[in-house]
Amino acid sequence: MGSESVRPAGGSGGSAPDLSVRLFGRTFKTPVWPASGCFGYGREFAGVMDLSQIGAICVKGTAIEPWDGNPGIRVVETPGGMLNAIGLQNPGVDHFLTVDWPWLQERGATVIVNIVGRTVDEYAAVARRLEGTGVAGLELNISCPNVKEGGMAFGTTPRSAAEVTAAVRRATTLPLIVKLSPNVTDIVEIARAVESAGADGLSVINTLMGMSIDIRRRRPHLGNVFGGLSGPAIKPIALRMVWQVAGAVKVPVIGIGGIMTGEDAVEFLMAGASAVQVGTACFVDPRAPLTIAEELAQFMAEHGYRRVGDLVGAARLRGAL
Amino acid sequence: MTMRTLRQTQVQAGWVRERARVLTHDGDGEIFKLTLAAPAVARRATAGQFVQIHPLPVGLPGQPGPAPTGQPRPAAVMSNGQRSQASPRPAALDPLLRRPLSLCEIRPEAGEISLIYRVVGRGTRALSAVPPGAMVDLLGPLGRSFPDPRAGQGRLLLIGGGLGIPPMAAAARWAVQGGRPVVAILGARTARYLAGAREVAATGVPVITVTDDGSAGERGLVTDALDRLIGMSEPASGDRAGAAAPDRGPGTEDRIGEVWACGPEPMLAAVKERCAEAGIPCFVSVERFMACGFGACLGCTVPKAGGGYLKTCQDGPVFPAEEVVLGGF
Ligand SMILES: Cc1cc2nc3c(=O)[nH]c(=O)nc-3n(C[C@H](O)[C@H](O)[C@H](O)COP(=O)(O)OP(=O)(O)OC[C@H]3O[C@@H](n4cnc5c(N)ncnc54)[C@H](O)[C@@H]3O)c2cc1C
Ligand SMILES: Cc1cc2nc3c(=O)[nH]c(=O)nc-3n(C[C@H](O)[C@H](O)[C@H](O)COP(=O)(O)O)c2cc1C
Ligand code: FES
Repeated sequence: MGSESVRPAGGSGGSAPDLSVRLFGRTFKTPVWPASGCFGYGREFAGVMDLSQIGAICVKGTAIEPWDGNPGIRVVETPGGMLNAIGLQNPGVDHFLTVDWPWLQERGATVIVNIVGRTVDEYAAVARRLEGTGVAGLELNISCPNVKEGGMAFGTTPRSAAEVTAAVRRATTLPLIVKLSPNVTDIVEIARAVESAGADGLSVINTLMGMSIDIRRRRPHLGNVFGGLSGPAIKPIALRMVWQVAGAVKVPVIGIGGIMTGEDAVEFLMAGASAVQVGTACFVDPRAPLTIAEELAQFMAEHGYRRVGDLVGAARLRGAL
Repeated sequence: MTMRTLRQTQVQAGWVRERARVLTHDGDGEIFKLTLAAPAVARRATAGQFVQIHPLPVGLPGQPGPAPTGQPRPAAVMSNGQRSQASPRPAALDPLLRRPLSLCEIRPEAGEISLIYRVVGRGTRALSAVPPGAMVDLLGPLGRSFPDPRAGQGRLLLIGGGLGIPPMAAAARWAVQGGRPVVAILGARTARYLAGAREVAATGVPVITVTDDGSAGERGLVTDALDRLIGMSEPASGDRAGAAAPDRGPGTEDRIGEVWACGPEPMLAAVKERCAEAGIPCFVSVERFMACGFGACLGCTVPKAGGGYLKTCQDGPVFPAEEVVLGGF
């Protein structure tokens, strides 16, 4: 790749940049992790990559019981992105623990379990089942409808977001990451509420609610009418929210939304994220979490950054001027 | 009498990501045939499987050929002078996702595959502009194939409707090579939409052509021809137990022992119903929107008989007809 490369500004010689990051009291090999729901439980990817090389695998949203998911059409492409209405189909935490987790452990994978529930108690029950199993952490998906509050998502009010966070906090000693929904008026208010309720980190963002219509059949494309928008189309919004949240909380922020390249990842790190997740990119390039990490390392080498931490929040210093 | 399908759809080998050179790409503005040098996919593929192809080229004519599959690739210099990413991928983000297309012809000996597709939207329109000599990015072969034709009983009937015809070329070749007696019914709205029929006929299998308007072959629906073939093979006593037809070559009198169908879902539902009535094992290849194509997103589900869902990309696209609930797409 030599002839075109720019010399590292810091003159750090030949030493390769260090991609490892230390978060929640443990070291992750890379700061580029597959996002929940876009990597299954890792199985489908094992033929094309070494799962132990990934910083952490965020597995599919997992509930206390198996969930069937939504009927009808579940995915459709939109400009620069896609809508999904999977309905959180998952085999349940017991299946995860007896089938997937042993398989992942054999492959040396580091795993963060994304957990979903219909009630606060269901979330807490999943967290309790995962206690002491050796998973690296929990990621609370609070975009699920709260059946006791008329189906409004837990993550849409500071009160219910804090309530579910506090309940899971009491149920687990594992690192607790709360994944914020962008479908809110003020994401900063929610971020502060879940931080006070005991979150160790925040994932920003989940998908944005959207829809599209099949004009030939005169009906919405998705069986569920609405779906979550992901992919490059949401990147500017995700980046803005990461910037806002990282400026408002002390816990680490994990940036998510439309990351397709190493340079996209650099933007999120510079906005204040300590690590990133890539979702939709895994569908286009199944090796995306590794490819993007390699690209990140290349950027760091070319621009004289030795550690990921040197990038974190780097754009904020100038932003403050 | 309850029919149990003991025969299984199959996966011969895992999928790979392959950069494939476009050898030929011909079309009439609506229907295109794409021939690719894709040795790794060709070597692993079986009839009924598909590829996930990105509609945007990853290399232009005249650029160096593909690195060996599975090897780390050197970064390339892109047309705008920038160095490309570690793993070259389309520079544009729209269309974003890959598109699933069935394998029409699989030629492991030549390291080639062909695909036949219709331009229906942004992805297929973008794909249709890719010139010969360019490189495209594939994942494949994906999904489960039809069952091994050598193990089945009686004469195999292939039914292709519209863009369900192309995969029947690979199916026909597989059956012929396995010495299985086989006949095909190929149907479309008009003669223009019989794309793939030439490729099926080239395998030497007898073909019954049907069009809605009679512009080619018989006028009518594939199910009309199916009724006739099944009726013709109905034994007078009505007792089909142990009625495995001896291999008598492609004589039209052979009992239809199995049906493989691909086409619009209402057609599949009708074929499934008739086969169930006649007690003939039936395999259907279904279509869904797909995000990943390899089992990771749960976006392509088809309702499972008895409840729950199956993944079209991984449990299918070929299913024993009784395993799935058809009509939802
Ligand atoms: C396993 C499998 C094999 C296929 N094999 C072939 C083939 O050999 N030849 C061929 O022409 N087509 C095939 N298809 C359909 C093909 O994938 C779609 O036509 C294509 O993805 C449309 O992309 P687009 O961007 O052009 O259309 P879009 O703009 O995405 O959509 C245009 C229209 O096409 C329909 N459509 C979109 N995606 C799909 C899909 N995945 N399946 C069915 N309909 C869809 C929609 O109803 C929509 O109205 C196959 C699909 C599957 C799932
Ligand atoms: C098909 C699909 C399924 C998803 N499932 C989940 C899930 O189970 N839990 C969750 O927290 N997020 C889920 N997400 C959201 C992603 O993890 C991620 O936050 C979002 O897609 C934005 O990132 P991206 O633009 O890189 O895809 C899903 C996204 C997609 C596209
Ligand atoms: S297309 Fe993703 S699971 Fe089938």
